[in-house]
Amino acid sequence: MKKLLMLLTLTLALSQFGQAQRYITKNGHISFYSDGPLEKIEAHNNQVNSALDIKSGDFVFKVLMKSFSFEKALMQEHFNENYVESDQFPNASFVGKITNLNDINFTKPATYEAMIEGKLTIHGVTKPVMETGTFVVTSGAVEGKSVFMVKLADYNISIPGAVTGKIAEEIQITVDVNLEPLNN
Amino acid sequence: MKKFKILIIIALTLGLLGGTYAWFFVYNKPHRDIENATADFTETAENLYNHYVNGLNAEDKNYDGAVIEFIGNPTAVESADSLKVVVFVFNQGMFGDEGIRCTLLPWHNDKTEDLSPDHPITIKGFCAGYNGTDIILEQCSIINH
Repeated sequence: MKKLLMLLTLTLALSQFGQAQRYITKNGHISFYSDGPLEKIEAHNNQVNSALDIKSGDFVFKVLMKSFSFEKALMQEHFNENYVESDQFPNASFVGKITNLNDINFTKPATYEAMIEGKLTIHGVTKPVMETGTFVVTSGAVEGKSVFMVKLADYNISIPGAVTGKIAEEIQITVDVNLEPLNN
Repeated sequence: MKKFKILIIIALTLGLLGGTYAWFFVYNKPHRDIENATADFTETAENLYNHYVNGLNAEDKNYDGAVIEFIGNPTAVESADSLKVVVFVFNQGMFGDEGIRCTLLPWHNDKTEDLSPDHPITIKGFCAGYNGTDIILEQCSIINH
């Protein structure tokens, strides 16, 4: 039921997008990194869905947790089974809006600072977030980038007692999406 | 005393062997070799797409996390940095094309050069699941084309 509600929310948010002003990618990149006393953890995902409406400023991305790739198989296993429980919570998503849309000219190639506000859902927990990022506008494409921190406890991701204090409680998330106009 | 020393040596040897085993086969165990794994499920591309899009019932097999081999006609090949993604399109939606998206293992990238929508291919990969628009497969290999 939760999954259905999440999908419905995302679909409703997406339905506000107009056709001509929508930029999308399905090959976006999200990575996360944490440097705890016990070990460094880094993972990458190259199949991120993302859409931007340049008129309304609506910005969304959605990612499958099982698509994250780790250097070590054991880390990947622990991530999916013990931390994010990807069988139960297969997706993470962000649904939000650019709040300083007037400062960004998506028709003029340049790099723009953006303020983004919205709701981030990880591990079935939705939290309001407010982050900064940049949009690099080139002719025919928009590259969106943001780096922000996520506290694991905020999303009910618990660190097993045996490694508490050895794994970072906050992880750095890097979003890099190269959006192209949707022509259909 | 001699017996005690022998016991210490045995304990240390066992500890060393245990530690070596844990280091190589637990902490640094290799990733699952998807390319050479036997597929958990074999499908046609269309059946695989419909399996997810029509909604999973409790009695349906869950393909998330499974190795899937399927046959289908590729619609397009996309590039993302050094990665190649083979796309099988079955629908149009809010995000444009919808279907199955397969990220290839890098050493299969060359095989995309002569892919054509007119010729079916067999492809195998790790199914990461359905993101609401597409079924995502990772570490894919083109078996024949």
